[in-house]
Amino acid sequence: MMFLRGSSGLGGGLGGGGGAPALAELHRRLKWIALLIVTTFLLLVGRLWQLQVMRGDSYYERTVSNVVKERYLSSVRGKILDRKGVPLADNRPAFTVYATPKQLTQESKDELVRLLALSGDEIAKIDERLDLGKKRDPRNPIAILEDIGRDRASIVEQALARLPGVEVHHEPYRYYPQGELAAHMIGYMTQMTAAEADKLSNQGYDTSELVGRYGLESAWENYLRGKKGIERYAVDARGQRLDDRTAATLIQGERTIAAVPGANVVLTIDADLQRLAEKAVRGVQAAAVVVVEPGTGKLLAIVSKPSFDPNVMTGHLTRAEEELLLSDPRKPFVDKALRATYPPGSIFKFITAFAALEDNQTTEDETMFCPGEYKLSGTTFRCHGTHEKVNMVSAIQKSCDFYFYNLAERVGLDRIATVARDYGLGAPTNLGLNGDSGGRIPTKAWYEQRGRYKVGFATNAAIGQGDVEVTVLQMAMAYAALANGGKLYVPQVVERVEGNSGQRIMSYEPKIAHTIKLEPDAIDIWRRGMWKVTNEPGGTAFDHGHSELPIAGKTGTAEVKKYHKTDAEKDIEGWHPLASHAWFAGWMPAEDPEVVIVVMVEHGGGGGTVAWPIARQILEGYEAKKHKEPAK
Amino acid sequence: MRGTGLALPRATIGVSRWRRFRAGVDWPLILTIVALCTVGLLNLYSATRGTRHHAKFDTQVQWMVVGAIAFACATIIDYRAMVRLAWIGLGIAIVLLVVVRLLGEGAHGKGSYRWLNIFGMGIQPSELTKLMVIIVLARMFQDSEPARYSPGELALGGLALALPIGLIAVQPDLGTAILLTLIVLTVGFLAMPSVWPMIYTTLAGLLAIPILWEKMQDYQKNRVLAFLDPASDPTGNGWHTRQSIFAVGSGKIWGKGYGEGTQNQFDFLPEHWTDFPYSVWAEEWGFVGSLFLIAIFGFLLVWILNVALSARDRVGAVICVGVAAMTFWHVAVNIAMVLGLAPVVGVTLPFISYGGSSLVVFFLAMGLVANVSLRKHGY
Repeated sequence: MMFLRGSSGLGGGLGGGGGAPALAELHRRLKWIALLIVTTFLLLVGRLWQLQVMRGDSYYERTVSNVVKERYLSSVRGKILDRKGVPLADNRPAFTVYATPKQLTQESKDELVRLLALSGDEIAKIDERLDLGKKRDPRNPIAILEDIGRDRASIVEQALARLPGVEVHHEPYRYYPQGELAAHMIGYMTQMTAAEADKLSNQGYDTSELVGRYGLESAWENYLRGKKGIERYAVDARGQRLDDRTAATLIQGERTIAAVPGANVVLTIDADLQRLAEKAVRGVQAAAVVVVEPGTGKLLAIVSKPSFDPNVMTGHLTRAEEELLLSDPRKPFVDKALRATYPPGSIFKFITAFAALEDNQTTEDETMFCPGEYKLSGTTFRCHGTHEKVNMVSAIQKSCDFYFYNLAERVGLDRIATVARDYGLGAPTNLGLNGDSGGRIPTKAWYEQRGRYKVGFATNAAIGQGDVEVTVLQMAMAYAALANGGKLYVPQVVERVEGNSGQRIMSYEPKIAHTIKLEPDAIDIWRRGMWKVTNEPGGTAFDHGHSELPIAGKTGTAEVKKYHKTDAEKDIEGWHPLASHAWFAGWMPAEDPEVVIVVMVEHGGGGGTVAWPIARQILEGYEAKKHKEPAK
Repeated sequence: MRGTGLALPRATIGVSRWRRFRAGVDWPLILTIVALCTVGLLNLYSATRGTRHHAKFDTQVQWMVVGAIAFACATIIDYRAMVRLAWIGLGIAIVLLVVVRLLGEGAHGKGSYRWLNIFGMGIQPSELTKLMVIIVLARMFQDSEPARYSPGELALGGLALALPIGLIAVQPDLGTAILLTLIVLTVGFLAMPSVWPMIYTTLAGLLAIPILWEKMQDYQKNRVLAFLDPASDPTGNGWHTRQSIFAVGSGKIWGKGYGEGTQNQFDFLPEHWTDFPYSVWAEEWGFVGSLFLIAIFGFLLVWILNVALSARDRVGAVICVGVAAMTFWHVAVNIAMVLGLAPVVGVTLPFISYGGSSLVVFFLAMGLVANVSLRKHGY
C-alpha cells in the first residue's frame, strides 16, 4: 500500500494491495497536480498584475469618474380622515435640508449655522443626525433639518455654492390641520432611532424619514406609508449628474421605480363631535371622554386631556418643550381613554346589581334602610349620605352605597368579578391603539396570591372601588352593551382604508366580542334607575343641572387610594392627586339609545358636579348639530 | 513530509484522551480558516454597509457559528466510520437531488431548481453532494483494491458518480456539475492504478461539448458568449465581467482603502457579495491585498495536501486530496471569473462568499481534514 509516502502508519496496518500506483509514480502524479495548482495561481496573479498594475490607472479613472448613486423617491403618506372626509392628518409641501456626511466640511456646517442663525438645540440635532448618517452610509445624504419654511429654504438655496455637501429637497411634510384635535388618537411622527434605522432599512425605509410614533400614525403605519420609489443615477467625479444616455451604459436594469402613495385611513370619528367634546373639557385639567354608537361599537369621539400638538411633536419639538411635557404630573403622553386605568366608582354598580338579581339574592322591591354607614366584621364602610328608605331603583338614583354593600355580602367577590368580565371589564378591548390596557377586576384568588383575602374587599369592589381598575373605553363599551341589549362590541375607530383615488382597499365591519346573557328585568331596573339619576329630583345628576333631552346616565365619584404626594408634583388648580375621579356614563335617547357617552375627569371631584355637566354639554351639542345637518 | 511541529510524541500511553485530542487538533488549519472568515466578514461588511442589504452581515455571522459547530462535528466523528456509510450518504444526496427537482424552489425565476426549503432555511443539496462524492471516492479507493479495476467495476463506479453529477447538470447548475467532475477527475488522477481512464474521460468530456451546448439553457449560452466576447453586449451579459474587471483594475497596487470601493458600493455589480466578493476585495485592497488572499488560499491547499501525505491510511489521504481538489477548483474558477478569465458561473469563493450552504459545506470539508489530521498517529 503505497499510495502516498507518509508517516509510518500509512503503509503499515493496511496491507498493501498491489494495485495502487507505485510510490514513484504517485509522486510523479502529485507533481503534476502541484504544477497545475502553481500554474493556475500564477496565471491568476499574472492577470491581477495586468489589470491592477499595468492598466490600473486607466480603470481607476473610469471608476472614480462615474459613480452610480441610488436615492429613494419619497412616497406621499396617506391621509387620516374623519367619517365625513375631514382631514385630521395631511401633507403639505415643505423644504428639508439634507447633508452628505462625507462631503460636508466644518466650514460649510458653520456657514449653515450662521445663515440660519441656528440655536444650540438645532445644532445638537444636526450633529446627532450626521453621526447617524456617518454610521449608516457617509456617502448618502441624510435629512438634518426638516420643514424649515420657504424663507429659510431660499436662503440656503442661494448659498448652495458655498455649502458643499448640503442639498435642499422639496418634500411633502406631515401636518395636522386640526392642531391638537384628537392628538392622542391620531398620534404623531418622529425620526427613527439608530436601532430602528437598522431594522427598518431592510423594509425599504430611508434612514432619514419619519415614522409613525404614536396613535393611528403608528398603528396604521403599514397602510399609510406607501412604498418608496428608487431612482438610480450616475454622477461624475465632481458630483455632476450625467445625462441619461451615459447613465444607460453605466446602470443595468431599471433606472427608476416609481413610488406608490400611501392609503388613506377613514375613521368612524366625527371631527365636529370630537371638537365639541374637547371644548366641553376645556374647563378641567385632565379628562377622558369616549362617545360610541351602541349599535355598532363605532367610536365617534375619543378625548384624552391634556394632550399635545402633533405638529410640534412631528419634528419641531425642542428639548425644553419635551422636558416640560415629560415633567407635567398630569402625564400628557398617557392616553387617558385607552391606556390609563382608574377605579370606576358607582358607574360600576350595575355589575353588583345584576349579580344579585341573577342569583335571586334580591328583588326590585326589596327595601333597605341606609343609616349612612355599614359595618362588616369590625370595619365601617361609609355611605356618602343617609338615604334612609331605599329600594334598588332609588339606590341607583341616589347612588346609595349601603344598598350595594349589602348585595356584595350576599353574592361575594368572585360573582361580581364574573359579571364584570362578562361585560369586558378588566380586559383589553382589542382596539389596537396606544397600548389599550386591561386594568384589573380582582378575585379572591388574586388577593390570596398577594396575602390575605378579607370580606371587606368585596364590599369595596361592589361600588367600583378597592382594587377595581378599568379604562374609560372599557366602561364605554360595557354601557354600549347595556344600551343595545347585550352585544359587547370590539370598539372600532377605522371605518375603511381607501386608495388615494377613493377605491376601497379594506372595509371593516362591526365585530361583536361576545353576546352577554341578559335578564331583561335586571336591565330594565338599571335603566329606570339611570333615568331617575338625570331626570328626577334626588338623582345625583339632576341636582346639578337638568337637560331637556332624554338623557339617562349614572354618575360616579371614585375615591383615590391614599398616597403621598412627591415634591416633584406641583400643585395645579383643579387637579389634586388626592381628589376623587369624577365619572358619568350614560346615553341618549333613553329609549333605543343612539349614542353612549362616558366622561371621566381625573381628580376632578364629584361625578354629578363635574362630569355630568360635561356629558350634558356634549350631548346637547350633538343633538343641536344633528338638527342643523340634513339626515344622511 | 511528516513532523509538523505539533506531532505527538510516540509514547502517548497514559496521557489523557483530552490532552491527546488537544495536541492533535490541527491549529494551523483552524487559524487559516479563521483568517479567511475574517477577510470574508470584513469584505461583506464593506460591500453591504449602508445599503438595504446590510443585514446580510449578521446572517453570515450566524452561519459561521453554525459552520464552526459543523466543523467540530466533522472533526470528532472518526472518518473511518463515515467512510463505512459512504454509499448511504451518497444515496441520501441523490434522493435530495431528486426531491429538489420535484419540489424545490427555482432561483431568480430562471427555471432552475437548486433550493430546498427545510425549516425555513434554503438548502442546496448540490453543495452537500460535493462532500458525499469525496467520501465515496475515499471508499472506492480504500485499501485492498485489485491491481486493475475490471471494466465492469470501472463502469459501475463511474455510473455511481455520474448519476448525481447528471442530476445537478439538469437542474441546471452547470457550474457545480463541472466542478464535481473536476474533483472526481483530480482525485482519480492521483488514486487510480492507471491514469488512462481519467484521460479518456476528459477527452470524452471535451468531445461532448457540442452536445452539451445544444442542451444548455439560453442564459447559460449567453454567459459563455459574453465571456468569449465581452464587448458584444456591454449592458447585458457582459455586464458583470466588465464591471468586475473595472473594480479589480481600479484598485491598482495599494487599493482604494477599506470601505472606499466605489465600484461595489454603488451597485455596479449586483449581488456582488455572493459571486464577486473577490472583486470587492481587490478594489479596496489592491494588488497587494489580492495577492495576500491568494497566498492564504495557497497555504490552505499546501496544508491540506500535507495532511494527506501524513494520513495514517489511504482513506484519510483520499479524503484530504478530495477536499484540496474541491477548494482549489472553487478558488480557481471563482477568481478566474472575477478576473474575466472564465464565464460567469455560480461558483463561490470558500469562506468569503456570502451564503450559508457553501459556508457550512466548506466548514464540514475542513472538519474532515482536521479529522484525518487528528487521527494520523493512531489516536
